[in-house]
Amino acid sequence: MPALHSTFLSEQGADTRVIGNLAVLPIHSKYRGPSYPPQQDYDIIEETLDLFRANSFFKNFEIKGAADRLLIYGILFTSDCLSKLNKSITYKEAVRTLNNLALDSFALPGDIGFPLNSLYQSPANKNEAELLRSYLQQFRQELADRLLKRVYSDSEVVPSKHWLAFTRRRFMNKSL
Amino acid sequence: MASMGTPAVVMDNGTGLTKLGFAGNDSPSFVFPTAISTLSASSSKSSGNNAKSTGSFLSSKRGLEDLDFFIGNEALAAANGPNYNLSYPIRHGQIENWDHMERFWESSIFKYLRCEPEDHYFLLTEPPLNPPENRESVAEIMFESFNCAGLYIAVQAVLALAASWTSSKVSDRSLTGTVIDSGDGVTHVIPVAEGYVIGGAIKNIPLAGRDITLFIQSFLRDRGELDTSLQTAEKIKQQFCYVCPDIVKEFNKFDQYPQEKFAQYMVEYADKNRSKTVVDVGYERFLAPEIFFNPEICSSDFLTPLPTVVDQVIQASPIDVRKKLYKNIVLSGGSTMFKDFDRRLQRDLKTLVKERIELSERLSGGVKSSGVDVQVISHSRQRNAVWFGGSLLAQTSEFKSYSYTKQQYDEEGPNLVRNFSLFK
Amino acid sequence: MLQIEQTNLLIQTTLTDKIFPEKDAKGYKSIDRIISDFDFTTYHISTLGEEKHLLLISIYLKCWDDLESYGVVKYLQDKYVQFEEALTILPSGDVENNYNYSFVLDLAKLEGQSDEYKQSVIDSLALLKRNCMAAPLEKAFARYDELAQQYANSNTYAEEIQAELQSEKVLVINYRGIDESIYIKPSFDRVTVIFSTIFQDETDKIFGKVFLQEFVDARKRSVQTAPQVLYSHKEPPLDIAHVVKSNNNTDADNKGYITFVLFPRHLVRGDKRENCITHIQVFRNYFHYHIKCSKAYMHSRMRFRVKEFLKILNRAKPENIDNDGSRIENRKTASGRRFAQ
Repeated sequence: MPALHSTFLSEQGADTRVIGNLAVLPIHSKYRGPSYPPQQDYDIIEETLDLFRANSFFKNFEIKGAADRLLIYGILFTSDCLSKLNKSITYKEAVRTLNNLALDSFALPGDIGFPLNSLYQSPANKNEAELLRSYLQQFRQELADRLLKRVYSDSEVVPSKHWLAFTRRRFMNKSL
Repeated sequence: MASMGTPAVVMDNGTGLTKLGFAGNDSPSFVFPTAISTLSASSSKSSGNNAKSTGSFLSSKRGLEDLDFFIGNEALAAANGPNYNLSYPIRHGQIENWDHMERFWESSIFKYLRCEPEDHYFLLTEPPLNPPENRESVAEIMFESFNCAGLYIAVQAVLALAASWTSSKVSDRSLTGTVIDSGDGVTHVIPVAEGYVIGGAIKNIPLAGRDITLFIQSFLRDRGELDTSLQTAEKIKQQFCYVCPDIVKEFNKFDQYPQEKFAQYMVEYADKNRSKTVVDVGYERFLAPEIFFNPEICSSDFLTPLPTVVDQVIQASPIDVRKKLYKNIVLSGGSTMFKDFDRRLQRDLKTLVKERIELSERLSGGVKSSGVDVQVISHSRQRNAVWFGGSLLAQTSEFKSYSYTKQQYDEEGPNLVRNFSLFK
Repeated sequence: MLQIEQTNLLIQTTLTDKIFPEKDAKGYKSIDRIISDFDFTTYHISTLGEEKHLLLISIYLKCWDDLESYGVVKYLQDKYVQFEEALTILPSGDVENNYNYSFVLDLAKLEGQSDEYKQSVIDSLALLKRNCMAAPLEKAFARYDELAQQYANSNTYAEEIQAELQSEKVLVINYRGIDESIYIKPSFDRVTVIFSTIFQDETDKIFGKVFLQEFVDARKRSVQTAPQVLYSHKEPPLDIAHVVKSNNNTDADNKGYITFVLFPRHLVRGDKRENCITHIQVFRNYFHYHIKCSKAYMHSRMRFRVKEFLKILNRAKPENIDNDGSRIENRKTASGRRFAQ
């Protein structure tokens, strides 16, 4: 059983938008952004958080499709988020820190600072790039929000150390 | 024969642990590290006069230095002091330092087992693919130094198969099967047909007990637990770890039922004044044994999961024994003791076999396969399976007729032990 | 490890596990274990059926019949009666099959006792074999006490007394079958203990001789208070010549007799006497253990030497030397090719 793949790979139909070779999957979100609301409850963000802990042990990952690329991005972002937390930070402070991180300027596939350029194609034109940027921003905000709900599920004051222990693990030996 | 009434001595010297005991018992009498600590050269230099090199050190010994040594747990304790050097005479299953091994046996026999070797038969074990020269050296020591009454050297994997006869799943007492032997240092997958090891098909996995312990230790360190010593990791491994059917689902179970899944381990210290430390135990409970099934999570150079290795081993064996090898997969050694290890291995292996059968059925155009029965056998004697198998065989009435006696050795010399007849 | 311990380590650890269980252990676990000791001694420790708090401890000794005639039953009774709250000695009719002597240890009753008491039960059971072998020695020492008193004021050089002492009964224990025995002869001023021992291996015989010579010499050199040791090969000492039995003559060549003469200073009642018993009865094992150890030592020397020789051989290379003895370099064949170096 090697590293796990996204279950959304198979659902790529005509309605799935792909920018570059990154899938833009529908997510549930209270943040504003270009994403459609998905049909079922389980979305890519839940999946990212479910697979994060298991996959972060793996250094090799075979990309099977556009949805996997979004999954990788999500996992790497999660790991980035965790590295911003520490043992003594409270939920409220953590929300602020991660929100800043999510809204911070970030590199898109194809930009110079993006770590996975060998695997990702850059958006075809400026419109697509804009769409991707706003989608990823929404994706990042939502992911950070739901991650914190899990990390602080036991207590409002201290984060779960079992989650924080994953800070050091590097999925595919990469980080954002 | 003078030794008729006395029980045979069964000694299983492994890389990590030595198991000693008498045939007929259900568990070894002593289990301790295969370690010996001897007087270090530097400390005798101060007492002796011209100990410049190790050579002259050896010949300058005129006193009782050669008797000043400890084995087992006492050796570990003595090595903490200044005057003793600790060494492990067995590496990768094979004896490397015969001087130390001879003294290790000396102490095992006289101090721990308290028996006069002239009165007892001995059953010793050897790893698969042990060179015959090593066997001869063993016989030389046993017969010439200790004058033991009789000797039988058995292959560990064959003994592990014999030990599985106690399981209710085993219907016929055959010596054909695949043995997965995982101790502290290395995991072996060994196919055995009719009591003979199929040497060409053996595979080793460089992951075993020690790697699991180190992996747990890395978890403890990442989490910043208060006690991250190797001993604590070892204890956690023994007390809390289990094999899960699916890691992602298991992570979710931890989220849903944190009360049941997360555990705490109390570290107790020999020093009573120190207060106990509490160490939390988390995902390592199921992730640590997972390295057998997903080696990638801990090792970067070895990536083949155990079920795949087992499948490869059986596929590399002669075609006429493969079905029997699939049907009788026997576990042995401490690192196979995790809960549900057998079920997971059986499930994963079945999946692999099924895929291949389907493929071949498709390719052959609809010829149906009669199916392959995959069965992994786990039993209550698994931890010391090799020793227990030895104990079973050595208490049979035929044992003495299979062993070689001191008289036979004196007549024919060491190459006598190159062949032993097999137990039926 | 210079000494051979008196206690049986395995009995000790087994009983310690039982009597001082780990805190989280639940109830009593069943056990069935064979344990061996030197000189064909076998112990069997088992739980009695479903009553898992009762431990049956039995011992088998090869020379039990001899010991029995020298009052071992009474001796053990005296030794172990102090633990009678927890330890029951089974009457000879109830002794476990194939064994000579049995105890039943009640773990439940032991639980209420102090740790020291528990520890002393373990320790004295671990000395079971020593205690069995001690019975005849104890008997001989008691006889020495009697004789010493009887002849305290008489002229012991008188012929009739000498003759009387000469005919004093010798205690024989065939502790390893007919070939290896202990003979004990008490007298008014000494107790003579003679071991007959046999070497199955030629090499052992030589080692044995050297060792025993060393025993004899050691007393002369430094250890003045040690008992006198005499060694004779083939010929039994006169004291016991009339009781020595040998099954055949071929073995007589390999037979040796070691005589210890214990003087009154070794026989002072109390600790000294106990100590003397303890040490003398493990003599043979000690002796054979050291023969084996020195063989092991020799082997390590031999391995070392072989390694050195191999090193020298590896360094050795054939040199090209012509008839005059000078070295030839780059010699060529007729076709002009060079030899491979």
